[in-house]
Amino acid sequence: MSEISSEDGLVREFTKQGADYYASVFARIRSHAGFTWSFNWAAAVLGPIWATARNIPILFWLALFFETLAVAQLATGFAGNLGGEQRVRAERLFKQADERRVEAEKAKTAGESSADSMLRSADGLKVAAENAARQAEAAEARGPMLIGAGLLTLLIGKLLVGVLANPLLERRFNRWRSNRRLRHGFHKAGALLAAAFCLLAYGLVAWRVAAQAPPSWLTTAPVNREWQGIVAATLDRALDGLSKSGDAVFSAITGLINIVLDTAASGLTTMPWLVTMAMIVILAWQLAGNRVAIFTAAALAYLAVLGFWEKSLETVALLGTSAVLCLIIGIPLGIWCGRRPAVYTAIRPILDFMQTMPAFVYLIPVIALFGIGKPPGVIATLVFGTPPVVRLTALGVQGVPTSIREAAEAYGATRWFLLTRVDLPLAAPSIMAGVNQTILMCLSMVVIASLIGAKGLGEDVLNALQYAAVGQGLLAGLAILLCAMIIDRIVQSTSLR
Amino acid sequence: MTDRLRTDVGGRIAADGEPLIVMRNVWKIFGARQAEALAALRAGAAGKREIAERFNCVVGVADVNLSVDRGEIFCVMGLSGSGKSTLVRHINRLLEPTAGEILVGGENVMAKSPADLRSLRSHKIGMVFQNFGLLPHRTVRDNVALPLEIQRASRQKRFDIAEEALEKVNLAGWGDRYCHELSGGMQQRVGLARALAADPDILLMDEPFSALDPLIRRQLQDEFLSLSTAMGKTVVFITHDLEEAVRIGDRIAVMKDGMILQVGTPEEVVTRPEHDYVRKFVADISRLNILTARSMMVPVGEHHLTEADLAALPSVRPDHVLGDLVEIAAGHSGDIAVREAGAIVGLIDRTAILNGLKRKEAS
Repeated sequence: MSEISSEDGLVREFTKQGADYYASVFARIRSHAGFTWSFNWAAAVLGPIWATARNIPILFWLALFFETLAVAQLATGFAGNLGGEQRVRAERLFKQADERRVEAEKAKTAGESSADSMLRSADGLKVAAENAARQAEAAEARGPMLIGAGLLTLLIGKLLVGVLANPLLERRFNRWRSNRRLRHGFHKAGALLAAAFCLLAYGLVAWRVAAQAPPSWLTTAPVNREWQGIVAATLDRALDGLSKSGDAVFSAITGLINIVLDTAASGLTTMPWLVTMAMIVILAWQLAGNRVAIFTAAALAYLAVLGFWEKSLETVALLGTSAVLCLIIGIPLGIWCGRRPAVYTAIRPILDFMQTMPAFVYLIPVIALFGIGKPPGVIATLVFGTPPVVRLTALGVQGVPTSIREAAEAYGATRWFLLTRVDLPLAAPSIMAGVNQTILMCLSMVVIASLIGAKGLGEDVLNALQYAAVGQGLLAGLAILLCAMIIDRIVQSTSLR
Repeated sequence: MTDRLRTDVGGRIAADGEPLIVMRNVWKIFGARQAEALAALRAGAAGKREIAERFNCVVGVADVNLSVDRGEIFCVMGLSGSGKSTLVRHINRLLEPTAGEILVGGENVMAKSPADLRSLRSHKIGMVFQNFGLLPHRTVRDNVALPLEIQRASRQKRFDIAEEALEKVNLAGWGDRYCHELSGGMQQRVGLARALAADPDILLMDEPFSALDPLIRRQLQDEFLSLSTAMGKTVVFITHDLEEAVRIGDRIAVMKDGMILQVGTPEEVVTRPEHDYVRKFVADISRLNILTARSMMVPVGEHHLTEADLAALPSVRPDHVLGDLVEIAAGHSGDIAVREAGAIVGLIDRTAILNGLKRKEAS
């Protein structure tokens, strides 16, 4: 008994207004197993306003959707410019037909040979005019239909809101019971705001559809080309300034990357092709077994026979440099993020930016700062390839059970010991997945990097694109795919062991 | 290097007779505003609920005083949320107390530098966890040798000591397996072997057997008991199971809401609960292995029996428990004599035995 009355008290505290009604409705909802049919008149009549006051956003949007649709239909039906265009066209055509007929009559009396054809075209114009007039009439006839449809939409919306209101409010009540900080009661200020918004929105919508010639500010958002130009110019100048003042730094970075790249490339290309290939196959066999070794041999044969060997090596050098740099930057950053949630929160938007910004956008500033060629290609690849390894390393480090870290700490482990013997080994599967992702991301970026002169296999794809050479393009694309698969299979197999 | 460190720490360990672990007025409050909350609690101005509401803090340990003697098995018993696991983590300073003093072997743990603290943890204190805390990517042997690895012992030494420790917990020959290949009971044996590997003075057992099924738990309790007594370890044993506390503990501390309600031998706690909460707890516990002849006997002076009568009675030692007395009483209808050093010190009659069996507070 006391339980029921306390339940009642809770409903009262939650609803504040109309408590008696809600106490009985909620009791009914609780006693039913399935959906409980009830109709909340206040919710149906007030729609979005009620939903806002009762803090149910989903109902607000539902009601707003139906009511806006109804307002648009009703306004069009009552006052809209239905068939207006067609009517104007019909009038114009009728006029043209009449003029043509007069001209034709004149030509006939003058005995000109074109008279017949003019007569025919006048008839054609008349037919077209009649068609347009008919269409205009049909459109005008749609008026009452639209009004009917608008009323029906309004009715459906009200019915839906009225029926859904009580179950949704009851659900909100249940959530509030376990989290008393949730807003409850009847929120008057919210209701007023919602009423003001609805009035404004419906009014503007009605005006837009009903007006013969709605004002331009109603149809287009205000554009200020001047501001856009100023901001863009400022950014241009800033980049210019940066490239001038930081020239020494950027050329140092470029030089460094060049040294690494050249070492890698010359190492790969000076060796006889047979030796390099044999080494790759042996590596694949040792790390990943027979099947991958056979696949690798076949893929290498393809690259060699179809003339992609040198370019592949160039690509791999580019890829290797980028990937190694990505990992050198990304893994420590990921560990830091995994251990310090605040750092991760700060870095996450930057990672999002790096991953979602289209490559072409940052290729431009990269060229401005680093010139064209391979180093800017590496840097562009770096931007794109680092986020996955940071994310997955952070995820892995976060996933290390605190109980295991605590056990190691209880035996006097230093922070270095914790990092190298506990965190990294336990996070290794996740980190390896990140490494794999980064390598594949880097490879996909290689094609785009060739746009700024990074050479390699991407260059072939680019050439094929320019000359619409479908076959060449496919062959070069397949070569990139095979490079990716060789590297991926080898790296993945080591992560599995 | 390692040996020097060892003697260094060992030399400063307290002499026998003094308590090995001492906690004085230890408070632990979780939350950003713990200082304010502590002041309010000390002034008695706020209860647990108010602390949570006003300061958004949670009280873990409230004004705990305890001392554990060398070679003693000290059980901390309490339900989940009573603060027992929080309390034990202060002994090796895995948690920093909000206020209070903690001495291990006469040294102030709070005053130790990070390096000294690590040395204390790796040499003097072993810890066993409820969820084992083993490294899944390492073999059993490498897990057991973890404290020695942290001490930077040579690989050979680690290997030897780990094998030795594994033998002690009956896991000889399992060193090359990975931990996930072992059952729960075996994993906890590995945890125990790891705690024993560095030969520490103190073992902190944080609900070590709670995650195991009853049969294995029993078996491990027995093995642990004989092992720690044989090795003379000082043990702080956390449990939520009073039966376990009574079986294992030399003394038991009962905790609730971060406070220690009562400390005493199992017999004291069971027969003379000082608190309603403790009384409820011990109401259902079997006294067969707890009540001693000494506490049940009537001193001999109050009886007027002849020497010959006394000599004919079956006799027990004062530390025999109720279960032994019941067995004797089953085959003998008269009184039972209690002898200490040859002399009869007391008598126990059947009524006393039956009263002892009744599961209620003995007055």
